[in-house]
Amino acid sequence: MQDNLPFSDFGEEVVRAEGLRKTFTLSRKQQRLEHTDFPRKVALDGLSFSAQRGEIYGLLGPNGAGKTTTLRILSTLISPDAGDAFVCGHSVRKEPGKVRDVIGFMTSELKLEGFFTPSYLFDFFGAMHGVEKGALAQRKQELFARFGIDRFAEVKVSDLSTGMLQKVSLVISIVHDPAVVIFDEPTNGLDVLTAKVVIDFLLELKAMGKSILLSTHIFSLVEKLCDRVGIIIDGKMAADGKLQDVCGEMSLEDKFFAIYRSIKGDAV
Amino acid sequence: MKLIALMKKEFARFFGDYKLLITMILPGLLIYIIYSVMGSVMFGGEEEAYRLRVYVEGESAIVSTVESAASANGWETEMLSLSEAGIDEETAREQVASGEASALLVFSENFDASLGKGAAAEIVYNADDDGSAAFASLVNAALQSFSFTLTVSDLSGSGGGAQMVMAGILPMLIVIFVFSSCMSVTLESVAGEKERGTLATILVTSVRRSDIALGKVLPLSCVSLIGAASSFLGVVLSLPTLMGVSLDVAAAGVGAAGYVLLFLLILSFVPLIVAAIAAVSALSRSVKEASGYTSVLMILMMVLSLVTAFLPDIGGWVVAVPILNAVAAMQGILTGAPVVWMCLVSVAVNLAYTAVLIAVIARLLSSERVMFGK
Ligand SMILES: Nc1ncnc2c1ncn2[C@@H]1O[C@H](COP(=O)(O)OP(=O)(O)OP(=O)(O)O)[C@@H](O)[C@H]1O
Ligand SMILES: [Mg+2]
Repeated sequence: MQDNLPFSDFGEEVVRAEGLRKTFTLSRKQQRLEHTDFPRKVALDGLSFSAQRGEIYGLLGPNGAGKTTTLRILSTLISPDAGDAFVCGHSVRKEPGKVRDVIGFMTSELKLEGFFTPSYLFDFFGAMHGVEKGALAQRKQELFARFGIDRFAEVKVSDLSTGMLQKVSLVISIVHDPAVVIFDEPTNGLDVLTAKVVIDFLLELKAMGKSILLSTHIFSLVEKLCDRVGIIIDGKMAADGKLQDVCGEMSLEDKFFAIYRSIKGDAV
Repeated sequence: MKLIALMKKEFARFFGDYKLLITMILPGLLIYIIYSVMGSVMFGGEEEAYRLRVYVEGESAIVSTVESAASANGWETEMLSLSEAGIDEETAREQVASGEASALLVFSENFDASLGKGAAAEIVYNADDDGSAAFASLVNAALQSFSFTLTVSDLSGSGGGAQMVMAGILPMLIVIFVFSSCMSVTLESVAGEKERGTLATILVTSVRRSDIALGKVLPLSCVSLIGAASSFLGVVLSLPTLMGVSLDVAAAGVGAAGYVLLFLLILSFVPLIVAAIAAVSALSRSVKEASGYTSVLMILMMVLSLVTAFLPDIGGWVVAVPILNAVAAMQGILTGAPVVWMCLVSVAVNLAYTAVLIAVIARLLSSERVMFGK
C-alpha cells in the first residue's frame, strides 16, 4: 500500500493530533455519577502528540483521563470541538472516509455478530472496506493461517472460545490492510492467555510494518510493547516522547506518579 | 457493491433462523382465524339459507343469471316484476327500506341490447338485513364481467350493517398485523445491533451511512413483506365468511383490480413502517427502550386508523397522512367502492415518506450523540 512507503507527503508522522478539545454535556444522571453540579465535562483539553511510522505508541493515563475519547476522535467515531488530527495525512474532520480506510480500530465495544462465521464476516467487512474480491480471498487465507483461525473459519462466532474470538476480531479489523492500527485497552478484561494472544498479535503487526497506537493504564504493557509513550492526565498531555527519554533513570511507574503529583498535588 | 453486501448479510441473518420465519407467518393465520370465527358468529355460518323477495323493474336475461347464482348458494329467491306484484317503484323502495322485501333491481330500457353502450342498472338493498346485504354483494359479484354501470343503493338507516363494521375494522387489523411483523424484525435488527455493538463495527468502516440505512430498510421490508403477504392471504381467505358468500363470489366482489390495489397499498406502507421503527431504534439505547417507543407508535396508529375507519366521508386530505391514507383506501376497496386515485396517491405518498425517513436514519447514523452518547 502506498501509505506504507516512506517519504509520503506526511513524512514519518502517521498520526498527528493538534490541540484536540472535546467537551461532553452531562445528563442529570451522569452529573450525579461524576459528583458534580457542572453540566459540562471537559474530556480533552488541547491535546497534541504525534506517532511515528512502524512504531508502537502508548497512551497512558488513569480512568477518565481521555484516552478512549482521543482514540474515538482518531477513528472518526466522534469529532473534536476544536483542533484536528491527521492520520496518514488525512484530516479526521475533513476526510473521515479516507481516515477510515487507512485505520483498523479495535476496542471491546466493537462486536461481531455471533450468528455468522469468521469466514463470512471477513468477507463482509472486506466488502465494507471495498477490498477487491481476489485480494480478499488471498488475504483471508494468509491471515487465517498465520493466526490459526483456519480450522475455525466455518464455526459460528458465538461458538468460539474467548481467545479465538479475540483473534478473529483482531484479524477482521485489519481485513483492509490498514497502515495504522488503533487499539483501545488491548488487554482489558482478558485472562492471561487471551491477553498473550493480543500482545503477540500486536508484535506480529509491528513486524509486518504497521504503525500502532494503543491506550492503557497498565505500566508493564507500555514497557513491554511501546516505543513511545504519551501520559494523559485530565485531558492534557503531561509527558510525551520515546520511552527512555520520558522515564530517564526512573521506572515508568515512578515517573508517572512523579508527574501525577506535580500536577494534582499530594492527593495520591 | 457495499449496499449489496449489506443487504445480503441481512437476508442471510433472517433466512438462517427458522424461528424468525415462523413469527412472520403467524399474523395471517390469526387474521384468518379471527375473521372466520367472527364471521360465523355474525352470519350464523357460511351456509345460511336466506329467503329473499326481490322486485325487478325492466327486463334482462341477467335476472335468471342472478337467480341461478342465488339458488347455487342455497337461497330461496322469489323474483317478482313490479307489474306482477302490482306496486310502483316508490312502494318497492319503501318495502326494501322496511325489510319487507330484500332488494329491488332496476334495469334501463332495452338493457340487454344496449350492453356496453350505456346500459345501466341499480340494485337497491338494505345493509341492516343480512339476506339483503348478501344478495347485494352476490349481484355485485355476479355482474362484474358485464359491461354496464351498476349503481348500488343501500337503504338501511344506519348506513352500514355488520358487514360494513367488519370492513371498517379489517384495514386496521391489516395495518396492525403488518406493523407487528415489521416490528419484530426491525427491532431485532436495528436496535439489537446497536445494543450489541455490532452496528458500531460497521460504522468504523468507510461504507456510506446512507448505504447502511438502505441496507437495513430494503431487506427488512422484503422480510416483513412475507408477514404482510401472510396477512393479506388471511384477509382474502376470510372475505367469504365476512360477506357470507362463497369464495369465488367474494373474490369477484372485490375484483382483481381491487386486490392489486390492496397489495400495492400494503407494499407501500411496509417499508414506511420498517423505516419508522428503524429510526426509532437508531435513537434508542436498547431493544427494550425501542420496543417501548414502538408500542406507543402502534397504539397511536390503532387509534387513528379506528377514527379513520369510522369517520364517514373523511375527505381527500387523508391521502397526505401516511398509513391512514392506506386505511381509508383499503376500506373503500373492501366495501366494493375503491377510489383509484386515492389508492395510487396514497402509495406514492407513503413511498415518499419512506425516502425521507431513510435520509433521516442516515443522519442519525452519522450523529455521534445518537450512536455514541452515554
Ligand atoms: N459520551 C460521553 N458523555 C459524557 N461524558 C463522557 C462521554 N464519553 C466520555 N465522557 C467523559 O469524558 C471523560 C474522559 O473519558 P474517556 O472515556 O476518554 O476516559 P479514559 O481515559 O478512556 O478512561 P478509562 O480508563 O476509564 O477508559 C470521562 O470523565 C468520561 O466520563
Ligand atoms: Mg477508556
